[in-house]
Formats: sequence, C-alpha cells, structure tokens
Amino acid sequence: MTKKQQIIRFENAGLAYAESAETLSDINLTLGEGEFRFLTGPSGAGKTSLLKMIYLAMRPTRGTLHLFGEDTIDAPREALPMLRRRIGVVFQEFRLLDHLTAFDNVALPMKVAGVNLNSYREDVSELLNWVGLGDRMDAKPPTLSGGEQQRVALARALVSKPDLILADEPTGNVDPAMSERIMKLFVELNKLGAAVIVATHDLHLVQTLGKPVLKISEGRVSRSPAAGGGA
Amino acid sequence: MSDTAPKSNFMTRWRREPLLPEAGAGGAPLTAVIAVMSFLAVLAMAAVLIIHQSAGRWTAELQSEITVQIKGADQAEIAASASAAMRVLNDTPGVEEAILKSDDETAALLEPWLGKGNVRAFLNIPALIDVKVTPALRTDLDSLRQRLTAVAPGAALDDHAAWHNRLAMAAQSGQALAVLVFLLVMGAACAVSTFAARAGLAANHEIVSVLHLVGATDKFIASEVQRRFFILGFRGAIAGLAAAFAALAGAAYLLERGVGADSFLPQFTLGGWHALWLLTVPLATCLVTAFTARLTVLNTLHRQY
Ligand SMILES: Nc1ncnc2c1ncn2[C@@H]1O[C@H](COP(=O)(O)OP(=O)(O)OP(=O)(O)O)[C@@H](O)[C@H]1O
Ligand SMILES: [Mg+2]
Repeated sequence: MTKKQQIIRFENAGLAYAESAETLSDINLTLGEGEFRFLTGPSGAGKTSLLKMIYLAMRPTRGTLHLFGEDTIDAPREALPMLRRRIGVVFQEFRLLDHLTAFDNVALPMKVAGVNLNSYREDVSELLNWVGLGDRMDAKPPTLSGGEQQRVALARALVSKPDLILADEPTGNVDPAMSERIMKLFVELNKLGAAVIVATHDLHLVQTLGKPVLKISEGRVSRSPAAGGGA
Repeated sequence: MSDTAPKSNFMTRWRREPLLPEAGAGGAPLTAVIAVMSFLAVLAMAAVLIIHQSAGRWTAELQSEITVQIKGADQAEIAASASAAMRVLNDTPGVEEAILKSDDETAALLEPWLGKGNVRAFLNIPALIDVKVTPALRTDLDSLRQRLTAVAPGAALDDHAAWHNRLAMAAQSGQALAVLVFLLVMGAACAVSTFAARAGLAANHEIVSVLHLVGATDKFIASEVQRRFFILGFRGAIAGLAAAFAALAGAAYLLERGVGADSFLPQFTLGGWHALWLLTVPLATCLVTAFTARLTVLNTLHRQY
C-alpha cells in the first residue's frame, strides 16, 4: 500500500486580520487522503478563518500551507485555480450568485472549468433532486428560503466531485431530518475517498457520527480523538 | 410554486446566462458614451476620406493644366509669337490640348480690374494659351520651356506649382488633423472602457470572488467581461454610426442645395469603398472597448489573491 497523500499540511501557520493580533496561531495540522474531521469551537473562534486559508481565499500571514502536496505560499497565481477546482466548499453564507438560477449556480464550477454542459447536466439535476430542490431548479436564490439556499450551495460544492470537501455550518439552516441526511451524505462521500472537514456547532451530530474533531479555542487548533460512541 | 416551474426547465438549460449580471457593467451610460465616441470617430474618418477625395480631384485638375503667357512690344509681335508657340505646343508629345484664348476672352479676364472699354488701345495685352498636358510631360517642363522661348522670346510658362503646393499642404494638414481627432477619440474610448471595467469589477466584487473560489481563472473572468463590453460597445458603436450617417447625409444635402453642383467646395459622395471604411470605425471602436476591458480586468485581478 502506497503512503497516503497529504491533502492538507499546515506548518507553523498563523493568520492575522489587518494589524490586529493573530486570530489563529501555531497551526500544525495535516489531513490525509480520505480522512474526515469535524471542526468545532465557539462562535468567533476562527473556524471560518481556518477554512478560508484552505480554500485559498486568504493566505496564512506566516508559516506554510501545502495542498495536495503543493506549496500554496510560493505557488504562482496561475496555479491556484487548479487547486481550487479540487476543493468543494459549502460557504457559511452560501455565496450563491443571485442572478443565476439554482441550476446555473450548481453548474458554476463545471462551467468555469470549461466542461461541456452535456457531461454535467445530469449530475446537476440529480444533486438538486437529492437535496429536494428538483422542482426549484429555475428559481433564483433570492426567491429561495435560507435552508433551500444552503442546499443549493451544498449541491454546488459537490458537483465537481472534489477531492476535498469543506463545509462551513452546512446544516445551520435546515431541519434536523435534512441535517442528518446531509451529514450521512458527507460520510458516504468520505467512504468514496473524499477528504472532508465539517465546521459545526451541532455537538449532537458530532457525537453521533463519532469522527475525529479539531477544536479551536483561543486561537489554537487542537485535535481530540473520535468523540462519543460511534464507529 | 414558482412561476418559473418545470415547463421552462428546458429553456433554462438552453439559455446561456452571462456569469456577470447585466446591470453590473454600467450598461446604459457606457453604451451612450461609446455611441458619442463612435459618432465623432466616424465624422473624423469621413473628413479624412472627403479631404482625400476632393484634394485628389483638385490637384489632378490643376496638375494637368499649365498656362503659357506671351508678351511682346506690340500686338503684331504678340500674335506672331503666339502662333509660333502654338506650333511648338502642337508638335510636342504629351500636349493633349492647347487653346489660344481669343482677345475677347483675355480682355474679359482683365475686366474686373480695368473696366469695360477698349483696353487694347492703351495696353499690350499678353496672349494666353491654356495647355492640357499628360502627367509625364508635367514632371519635366524644362525642355518645352526652352523650345518655347526659342521661337517666342516673350513666352512664360506657368505650371501653377505654388498654388498646387499650397493646396496639397492644406489638404494634408486637414487630413492630419482629422486623423489626430480619430486617434484621440479612440484613446478616449480606451479610457472610458478602462474606467467602466474597473467600476464593473468593483461593483461585482462578490461575484468575481465566488467565481475565483469555484476555480475560475483570471482569463475566464476577463473573457466574460470582454464579451460583455464587446456587446455594449457594439450597440453604442452602431448607434453612433447611424447618427453620423444621418449627419453626413444632411450635410451633403445642404451643400448640394446651397452652393450648387459645380462649386469648388467638397462635393462628397460616400459610396462603396468609403462606406466600407466608415464601417470599420464602429468595429474598431468596439474592439478597442472590449480589448481594453480585458486588459484592465487581467491587470486588476492580478493584484488579488
Ligand atoms: N474580514 C475580517 N476582518 C477582520 N476580522 C475578522 C474578519 N473575519 C473574521 N474576523 C475575526 O476573526 C475571528 C474569527 O472569525 P471566524 O469567522 O473565523 O469565526 P468562526 O469560528 O467561523 O465563527 P462562527 O462560528 O460565528 O462562524 C473573529 O474574532 C472575527 O471577528
Ligand atoms: Mg464561521
């Protein structure tokens, strides 16, 4: 068996917004291929900030970050889109494009990658059906409820079959049943080989699924072993 | 249920929604400004063409004509010299036509200065010969001049060179000015496009950011913006072209009615080739607009993460 590829590797990384003190410090963290992590911590702890560095929206202000074995700090700007295409993100604020339909929003990563519509049309429909929005494919985000928008965002994150899935509070706006369904989907995709990080406040879910947890408190990321009774 | 429910699904898949919203790129104002630019650029280009055409006609006319003037001590000497000069001219290859002006015609030319009356009684009016020459002879008049003075000592040959040069100079500076105006207008179109592209990026900051995060390259985004600006520029340019054509047609009509067909003022007929040249102006305008927008976007995005 070959050594598992490292999907994420932070070394002595830190992140500071503007001139203020570091929001996150001394991050030393690795995530291997096919691994699953929950990310928890109080509001304002820095969960979103950590994810932002991973999906290449912000550079760590110090230290290094390797993604899929590639150095992201010194990478030329032209190399970043290719790395981003391997990551599917459910943003905490969804970040859907209001002028596009749900269908086009979900299709966006494929379109941007220059893929022919015929080869992903079915995937988009199936994903939207799966999240229960099969009949709202032509609706634009402003006409959708918060929970519906969140599900569109989820579908968009998965459509490109990414190697790494980052979900920032993906169940914050949906009912408990849908919430459980979404979490089980992540677990299934993880079994198919995707590495997954789910940031959540829902400690109950964390307990039931029994996956390893990364905890952020006071600007430090620490790892606690699999929580609760599961697996 | 939503008003855009299942029956229109097929249409949704069919339609190619632009990834940047319609309203974002400052649509209407940009189109209006491009229309004005295009209008001015078409007029400048029309000026270049009209001056070129008219100057060509004037100078061709002037170039083929020279005048031989024959002076003498008395009318008899003048007449003798004139007929000798006519013989030389008619024997010269390259002379297409030589017409000796009659005394009455010559006198009529002097009338504005000397008044009606028997001018010949107190003045030895020189004889005038209008000569039409081929371009080949026009470039080398020296030997003709020598042969004329050999048979008619009082003959002087005027090739209108000074007048011709002045006219050519005027035409050239007019054209240069029009070209300068054209280039300035194109430069202004670039500036406007740069400005609008930057404003558009700023206004659509969130969308651009999402596009990046789902894996869009700068080139992809630049192409989207470029396509948008090409369409906006095209609309504006066509409007400007239409307005300019209307203005030119109006001017042509007024000129024709006001000064008559045989006037020295430019009579322009913009057909065929000229219309094609004018059509390149809106094309150039929207290409310049779109390409500038592309460069602006690439430049701006390059400074982001
Ligand atoms: N753009 C920003 N500029 C300055 N400070 C910021 C910015 N974004 C976040 N912060 C600060 O960084 C800290 C961490 O924020 P972050 O959004 O990462 O927290 P979080 O753990 O995701 O919180 P929540 O659970 O509420 O989503 C907070 O103190 C916040 O005020
Ligand atoms: Mg957050």
